[in-house]
Amino acid sequence: MSNGIRVAALDEIPEGEGISIDRTVTGTDDDIALLRDDDGSVWALNNTCTHAEASLAEGWVEDGYVECPLHSSKFCLKTGTVQGLPATRDAVAHRIEVREGDVYLFPHERP
Amino acid sequence: MTSTIEPGTGARTVSAPPCGALLRPAELSRNIDVAGLVDADGGLLDRAVFTDDEIYRQELRRIFAASWLFLAHTDQFHKPGDFFTTYMGEDPVIVTMDKNRRIRAFLNSCRHRGARVCRADYGATRSFTCTYHGWAYDLEGKLISIPNKDGYPDSFHADDWGLVEVPNVDSYHGLIFGTWDPHPVSLRDSLGDMAWYLDAMLDHDADGTVVVGGVHKWMLEGNWKLAAEQFASDWYHVNMSHASALTLLSPSGKPKDEVVHRTGRQYVDPKGHGHGFPVHPKNRFDAQTVHEWIDYAVLRERLGDARVEGPLTTGHGTVFPNFSYLPVNGSIRIWHPKGPDRMEVWAWTIVDKSMPEHVREAQRLYNLRTFGPSGIFEQDDGENWSEVQAISHGFITNSVPLNYQMGIGADRRDTRYPGTTSELYSDAAARSFYARWRELMNTSAWHERKPA
Repeated sequence: MSNGIRVAALDEIPEGEGISIDRTVTGTDDDIALLRDDDGSVWALNNTCTHAEASLAEGWVEDGYVECPLHSSKFCLKTGTVQGLPATRDAVAHRIEVREGDVYLFPHERP
Repeated sequence: MTSTIEPGTGARTVSAPPCGALLRPAELSRNIDVAGLVDADGGLLDRAVFTDDEIYRQELRRIFAASWLFLAHTDQFHKPGDFFTTYMGEDPVIVTMDKNRRIRAFLNSCRHRGARVCRADYGATRSFTCTYHGWAYDLEGKLISIPNKDGYPDSFHADDWGLVEVPNVDSYHGLIFGTWDPHPVSLRDSLGDMAWYLDAMLDHDADGTVVVGGVHKWMLEGNWKLAAEQFASDWYHVNMSHASALTLLSPSGKPKDEVVHRTGRQYVDPKGHGHGFPVHPKNRFDAQTVHEWIDYAVLRERLGDARVEGPLTTGHGTVFPNFSYLPVNGSIRIWHPKGPDRMEVWAWTIVDKSMPEHVREAQRLYNLRTFGPSGIFEQDDGENWSEVQAISHGFITNSVPLNYQMGIGADRRDTRYPGTTSELYSDAAARSFYARWRELMNTSAWHERKPA
């Protein structure tokens, strides 16, 4: 069992916003969006919206969901489950741990 | 893999479909010779210029698509993504600050099916998404997201389908203008001597002006030129049309002699601009708080006596074709054309950035009271324009020419004012406005000329 990949310091991610971590860092197929809810919790989803080319890290994060900045599809931060059209497919969610102010990613482990 | 479908004669291969070609027939933009509708020397105007549909469409092609048009104030943009939506003629445009903090303007129409990609009046954003099918564009107008992109042929390149950009955007002392002309006369050159008169409002100090409050918008029956020419040229209507408002504002119930017996000058610009202003050594700002805050001696130092005693305060101006302003209350406005019979007025209030809050508020309230949408003066003007328009479609009415002969022969050049001026009570700037209109209407615009 690995300790995960350190991908960011927690305070790099403002509440209600997200940042994108390049796939060369995470070793994943897609870039990873680190999304910080307005309660301060952090979540990780594949960054590219399942509907069309759009970065979820640039979306609006609120109340457990991220809204795509381009076409307004919403995804559950915890599970990646799509909440509404135009997207029809769920986003891939990854497990996150925050240790001593740093964010660690566990690619492909369910949160 | 083989296909069971035989290509027909002339069928093109699926891998390299045509990119397409259109050719708009010339009959769609037939031009009318308007020389006989404007007699700028004799001071006559044919009312068809206010009512005719074909002339109106020609205006969109040759006036609005060819001129520098006011877009917004620089104070409306502070960070990348700040945007404001407006019109150039009837063309919807987004004015926005890009990531390099450059103000740019784009046609607000999706390249796919043509809906607006920004429906908000103003705000801040990272991108513009069409609400119809979802084509999305970045702040540079680049097409960045196409739902179901796999459905397009290989010949489809997103780079070819960015938002259409207004090729020239420039600003003058806080006023942002744009033109569709790819090779225009510069904004500064097109303003010419008019800049000296504009500076009386825009250049009180090095800090310039800012916008207070939002943009007021209202619809009026009336051709856009009725408002533009009045602001260029017409002090004549003041004591008649605004009699009740002037009486109301006078504490004694009788306006002072220096208010109703005005003499002054009217700047007449060969490019169709105009600015009329009473001249008096004690010209002042009407709002008491503003008047008390203004240091007229400092302004005399910066702008010179001629401007402080003239265009600094009470007066009216138009930058051809459809931007107008009133220095005394900081009202700047654009007359958006909405067909020959209608205009939409969009009005901003601007104040000196250096003004403290209570002075700004006094000017805002004064403007609201006088020239806001329900202002006691604005109501008079709107009523007049709508009255003229409402009856102008009558066949006989329409054929009876209008008189623009006041001040013929009164033009002069002197050392006190740049350019040519006429009397305060004169139609000179209106004649020049329509002469410029006629010139542009009878000249092929940039989009009609064959590429060199």
